[in-house]
Amino acid sequence: MNLDVKYVFPSKLKMLCIALMVVGVITFVAGFLINPDKTWANYLLNNFYFVSLSIGALFFLLIQYIANAGWSAVFKRVPHAMGAYLPIAAVFFILLYFGMHSIYHWTHEGIAETDKIIAWKLPYLNIPFMMIRIVMFFALWILLSRYLKKLTLKEDLQGGTGFFEKSVYYSRVTIFVLALTFPFFVVDMIMSIDVHWFSTLFALKNFIAAFFHGSAIIALIVILLNKVGYFPMLNNSHLHDFSRYMFMLCIVWGYFWFAQFMLIWYGNIPEETAYFVHRWESDWKTLFFVDLFINWFLPFIILMPRKTSRSKPVLIPMIIILIIGQYIDLYLQIMPGTVHENSFGWLEIGTFAGYTGLFAFMVLNALSKMNLYPKNHPYIEESIHHHF
Amino acid sequence: MYNTEFRGKLIEGNKSLGQISQDIVRPIDAKTPRWWFISMGISLVMLGLGLYAKYITVTEGIGSWGLNNSVGWGWAIINFVWWIGIGHAGTAFSIFLLILRQKWRTSINRAAEAMTVVAVMCAGLFPLLHMGRVWNFFFVLPYPNTRGPLWVNFNSPLFWDFVAITAYLLISASFWYFGMVPDFATIRDTTKSKIKKAVYGFFAFGWTGSSKEWLRYEALAFILGGIAAVLVVSVHSIVSTDFAVSVVPGWHTTIFPPYFVVGAIFSGFAMVLTLVTMIRKLYKMNDFITDSHVDAVTRVLIFVSLIMGTAYFTEVFIAWYSASEYEYYMFFKNRVFGEYAFQFWAMVICNAFIPQLFWWKKIRSNITAVFIISLFINLGMWFERFNIVVTTLAKDFLPAAWAGYSPSYIEILLFIGTLGLFGAGVLMFFRYIPMIAIHEVKSVAKYDKPSHERKHRNHEE
Repeated sequence: MNLDVKYVFPSKLKMLCIALMVVGVITFVAGFLINPDKTWANYLLNNFYFVSLSIGALFFLLIQYIANAGWSAVFKRVPHAMGAYLPIAAVFFILLYFGMHSIYHWTHEGIAETDKIIAWKLPYLNIPFMMIRIVMFFALWILLSRYLKKLTLKEDLQGGTGFFEKSVYYSRVTIFVLALTFPFFVVDMIMSIDVHWFSTLFALKNFIAAFFHGSAIIALIVILLNKVGYFPMLNNSHLHDFSRYMFMLCIVWGYFWFAQFMLIWYGNIPEETAYFVHRWESDWKTLFFVDLFINWFLPFIILMPRKTSRSKPVLIPMIIILIIGQYIDLYLQIMPGTVHENSFGWLEIGTFAGYTGLFAFMVLNALSKMNLYPKNHPYIEESIHHHF
Repeated sequence: MYNTEFRGKLIEGNKSLGQISQDIVRPIDAKTPRWWFISMGISLVMLGLGLYAKYITVTEGIGSWGLNNSVGWGWAIINFVWWIGIGHAGTAFSIFLLILRQKWRTSINRAAEAMTVVAVMCAGLFPLLHMGRVWNFFFVLPYPNTRGPLWVNFNSPLFWDFVAITAYLLISASFWYFGMVPDFATIRDTTKSKIKKAVYGFFAFGWTGSSKEWLRYEALAFILGGIAAVLVVSVHSIVSTDFAVSVVPGWHTTIFPPYFVVGAIFSGFAMVLTLVTMIRKLYKMNDFITDSHVDAVTRVLIFVSLIMGTAYFTEVFIAWYSASEYEYYMFFKNRVFGEYAFQFWAMVICNAFIPQLFWWKKIRSNITAVFIISLFINLGMWFERFNIVVTTLAKDFLPAAWAGYSPSYIEILLFIGTLGLFGAGVLMFFRYIPMIAIHEVKSVAKYDKPSHERKHRNHEE
């Protein structure tokens, strides 16, 4: 099999991505003129959404390395390419500086004097320290994901097993770094919106959500590329393995969701239940259950049978539903504390379209610059002939 | 196409399938070694001490323990959670690694499952004894009765616990047993002793090894595995709700269910490591439990240790971040710095720091070091449970009710008794059951052969 293949980013698709980006920019401009607060909330939501996909994909990649997984070797360039979105995300998150007042209640001048809880949190929750954290986190993530990409690209040119061993080692380092940074990132960006509220599981639940939806997007990209002629080796066993990731992660997601909700509900302490009471009120109640339904129940039922988890016509709509699922999950975490009312409309659709275009552009562009298959990967043969 | 260059060899010594059976069955047919009798003797003495403690507990009551009104849960609950945690490894090994197609699991899963069954039995003793009137334990069964009728409290995690553990014991014991059926048949067919032939033949359920039997057998393994995978998570999640559904600082925290499950897998893997390094040394099973097996387990341990460390850190951080003075007091004035700082830091050092030594290949490949570190993890996980159970109860919302706690000698003897039970159970397992799943090891034997020897099989993979 010829493994010297490059993905050609078709100009039509490029134009579509750019068109979506233009839609996004126009929506943002209009949004800032009409309702800046709500627009900033959307800005945060979309930024976090796509960073979570990149980080989730990165984590997927790391797991493949450290677990010596053979089946996925041939698809590894896709998660590598998804890391290409991180530098832009870093810039966006730094620009969030200008919107902090719209999103984070605790940044308001003088609030600490009247609010004892915020005063207590000031050593951690203050704008300079938060900006330092954002810069530090992104610097680490970008450095490590780029280094891993460099190693695999060098492996293409020089071969040998040294690069693989090095990748395994740096995967461990990266997991270590992610474990210590991503939870704080979640606390900063999302949990501090409802600044009085706290939950120990919250950050980890978002980590799992990122891993879950990141893996789903990898599968989607692989399947779509297969439809246009790339990845000819993609067979039922590969699809089944992708489905297994989604199936397993949907269970873990549901488990974390339930663990957090049930313990707070059972404990019934006002400081904690306030968060859910807010989301239980009429405006959000439907979404609250829809969130659980499409992120846990649907994939759990649909991906259980062997037949459906090996079928492209099932997997593509399933993943598209999961894309919506992650949006709803973040929408429910961000909007009630910022916009306070459930008003989904053109602003949400336009900004999401813009980011989708940008993300797709960045990922596909990065993918087109690499050889599509890591041809000297030690497990490449195993991966091509994967069958179980 | 399975690549052993990086993954390490699954079986050393280029053995034929016949040799594999012989090597694994050999200790069962051989004369019982002297160390076995000595360790069995020690285990039985410990078991006897435990029986004495049980006698005192039953005749005198819970008053013979060191508990008081504030600290109503002491060593008994600590040990219960500790043993249940250890009892997770078998299923974690068999099921999770089965689902993940990790072929190295085959040499270790039998020992892990055996350990599970014994550990869950040890765990079950403590809640039973803690009831005080152990002869009335059947009151926890929900059935229409003549006591009123008096029903159990379905809202209570203690009842969920009972259900989860019973189900888990049943499923893991059947999983373990059915896994052994083909191996019992192997012993039946190869042994020369008539008694053994009859006994193992009885337990082998007339296994013939036809392809139809294998087909059904594998379907059964997957179904039981699927059920047990859910149970393994549910059991420890429910154990965590024993604490987390309360409103006491230090107990009421949302991270508890996954944190307990991960902790259980952590302590279970550590105990598996303790056990397989012993099997390797005592029965010279180096060819089956190879360096790469030990390496794989230690690498899993680093990863899980990292999760544990993150969980400890998250708890402490959120205790500060919550701005709740009770949470803050519990963690900072009581655990991190305070009366129970020793237990807290013993837990952190044993569970989060010491396993990080496995980052160095030199330490991973030194069996003595691996053995010692695995013991440290077992110890650390015990301290974790002490930390959770005692520190919170000792100092709750009412300072007037604050109390200290130290175990009475009866509680200590009870614990020693379960260690004796565990030791005796494991020794019986060493002696009478193939320690390594023969048929499963055979199924992966082909992967170690050089590729030109197995070329004709490639279409199978």
